[in-house]
Amino acid sequence: MLSFRTTGYNGYGVRYSPFYDNKVAVATSANYGLVGNGRLYLLSINDDGSITQDNIFDTQDGLFSVAWSESHENQVLTSSGDGSISLFDITLSKFPVMNFKAHQREVFSVNWNLVEKHSFCSASWDGTVRVWSPMNSDPLLTLTSAKDHSVIASAPGSKMAPPLSAKPSLENTTNDCVYNAVFSPHDANVIISCNSASHLQIWDIRSPQPLQMDFIAHGGLETLSCDFNKYRTSVIATASVDKTIKVWDLRTISGVAHAGSPLQPHHNVGPTPLNRFIGHDFAIRNIAWSPHSGDKLLSCSYDMTCRVWNDQTDDKARFLNKTNHGQACVNVFGRHREFVVGCDWSLWGEPGWVASTGWDEMVYIWDAKRKY
Amino acid sequence: MERLSQIGNHLTSAAASDAVEKAKAKNPEDAVIVKAYRTALTKGGKGKFKDINSDVLLKKLLDGLFQTLPGFDKSIIEDVVIGNVLNPGAGANEHRAAMLAAGIPSSTPFMAVNRQCSSGLMAVNDIANKVLTGQIECGLAGGSESMSQNYGPKSAPVISPEILRDGQAKKCLIPMGITSENVNEKYTIPRSDQDAFAASSYQKAEKAVKGGLFKDEILPLEVEIEADDDDDDDKEPKKTTIVVDTDEGIRPGVTAASLGKIRPAFKKDGSTHAGNASQVSDGAAVVLIMRRSLAEKLQLPVLGKYIATTIVGVPPEIMGVGPGYAIPKVLELTGIPKEAISVFEINEAFAGQALFSVKRAGIPLEKVNPRGGAIALGHPLGATGARQVATIMRELKTGELGVTSMCIGTGMGAAAIFVKE
Repeated sequence: MLSFRTTGYNGYGVRYSPFYDNKVAVATSANYGLVGNGRLYLLSINDDGSITQDNIFDTQDGLFSVAWSESHENQVLTSSGDGSISLFDITLSKFPVMNFKAHQREVFSVNWNLVEKHSFCSASWDGTVRVWSPMNSDPLLTLTSAKDHSVIASAPGSKMAPPLSAKPSLENTTNDCVYNAVFSPHDANVIISCNSASHLQIWDIRSPQPLQMDFIAHGGLETLSCDFNKYRTSVIATASVDKTIKVWDLRTISGVAHAGSPLQPHHNVGPTPLNRFIGHDFAIRNIAWSPHSGDKLLSCSYDMTCRVWNDQTDDKARFLNKTNHGQACVNVFGRHREFVVGCDWSLWGEPGWVASTGWDEMVYIWDAKRKY
Repeated sequence: MERLSQIGNHLTSAAASDAVEKAKAKNPEDAVIVKAYRTALTKGGKGKFKDINSDVLLKKLLDGLFQTLPGFDKSIIEDVVIGNVLNPGAGANEHRAAMLAAGIPSSTPFMAVNRQCSSGLMAVNDIANKVLTGQIECGLAGGSESMSQNYGPKSAPVISPEILRDGQAKKCLIPMGITSENVNEKYTIPRSDQDAFAASSYQKAEKAVKGGLFKDEILPLEVEIEADDDDDDDKEPKKTTIVVDTDEGIRPGVTAASLGKIRPAFKKDGSTHAGNASQVSDGAAVVLIMRRSLAEKLQLPVLGKYIATTIVGVPPEIMGVGPGYAIPKVLELTGIPKEAISVFEINEAFAGQALFSVKRAGIPLEKVNPRGGAIALGHPLGATGARQVATIMRELKTGELGVTSMCIGTGMGAAAIFVKE
């Protein structure tokens, strides 16, 4: 396990470079991201196990997410609390090479298109997902879910409908802060996003009506993170304030709203997931499927742990003809001393290396297969 | 700050499915208690409030309440509901007058409620629910009772003979003391247990008074009393002004053994007596309730949050069992486990019914009436419900949940849950 301290700045996002096997970008914010500056760290992992700081960029507002360019080895995107997205060249200093400003509120995630490599998407608390080209400071496309998010999902087996865990606020009356939006690694035109009204939305940016599917993923509780499985094209995972991670096969989700139609009343509970990971003690902030294996998922949570999960519903596991209930959580990483907010898998070397960062100002590089 | 609350939601709502967390959660639309005060409870017929009626008590208490709220615009009170049992029409006229005399404008409506001993709590329930539904933003609930002035033969119920032909209906005439004996017999509650419970009520109250624990909830009232040290009828009685700020019912040094000597009051072979039944008292209590958003706007500190009330019916001849049924129902309604409740303020109409209710609801005795109950403090009928709210708001620590409950004459029970903030 290797570590680096981002003194004075609380970690929000961490990403391994897709070009250099030893570079990591970390998005951080002063004062826990509640108010104040942000800082982008570019770190190098050295052969002797030390981590050194290559470069830093200070920003006006806190940074909440980071993404490496898939087309240029020195470019990194950050998203900020003031609604701006910036593209930095890590060989330069101080200022970004490009600014993208269209979001009205905090941008909580940026994600580079892995297939087409010339576009990226962003998710914001202003309720929109935007698609951008790095060449153009205006967004290519804005995905807005013109839906009634006051719809209340009811928990199964309960007579009383739980209210949405996030209340509509003055700044967001429709209660649809989008927390995360990611491109499919299989199709350059598909995006999934999740929001504070517990909705998981699937978009096809080729379509004049991009919203393809929309369902309540976590029974009314805020859904904070979502990710596409890198091996199974129709499988995604979502993570929520309800402390669970759900694995979904999009092919099995039927009878829910399509293309802007209101949610069907018989589906106010939301469809049934393929699998559910229970173990975190508090809301789960970020999840990532492994780049090396279709059944491994990494998660990090407000309970100060990262966990590694083994998804038994993976196609390969089906033929193993044995049940492994209760063995889904294969590793718990408990070194963080505060909320763990960002995590990522390394694409390089021996499969299983991961990076995590959190409010304890620490970046840890650790092996998902080892117990610490 | 918007960012803080959005991220804070991730943590606080993680347990949103948990009823206790939900009860403790602070939402702008909550009905919250901003102020809860009571008068001292004085002895009926001979106490310091014996010469004034319930309207004067209420007016003086409201004056005291508004003194604690400097600069408060009384016209924002959108409804006043006052509980009372013995006055004709439950004080609909004189308490409206008292409210106006206390400076609340005539544009604020008034309602008198009478659900017997729960009237004060019904007033709180009524105002809190009106706040919760958005009918009003701020309301005043309370109760006022002068048993000195209005208790007696004239307060005995009158039921038409035609109705009384029905066996069940006739039971509504059973005196309260006999209903207590019925409970004691039916559930075989020995007198020794009752006396021990009553003695502990006296001891707890005595300790609470010594510790000054009632100081915060009692507003001292100035009243004129006749100094009757001579019996000369020709002289105009001399009047002196005194301040009443201490409960009169609490007797020091009461033990189960000393109570054991008292003769039964209602039945020769009975076990209910003057020492293990509630006292006849005068007193009033008021509770100011508003939407949390309004309290925040006015920058008024919040005492507690109203959660829910339930009222149940029970057979009239054993009316005292009411809390034993009402408490489980309100806990079931809200999904809050009884273990999550820190204090149960249960009106001690009689020691026997209180003991049965505690047992049926499965409550540990040490959580019941930590500062004594009506046996030691007194039971001004219509005011008791609001009095218990004022008391429980001081008994609970921040973040704790409390239940207040009482039995109701003619066979009912009421229970309500509050959160202290």
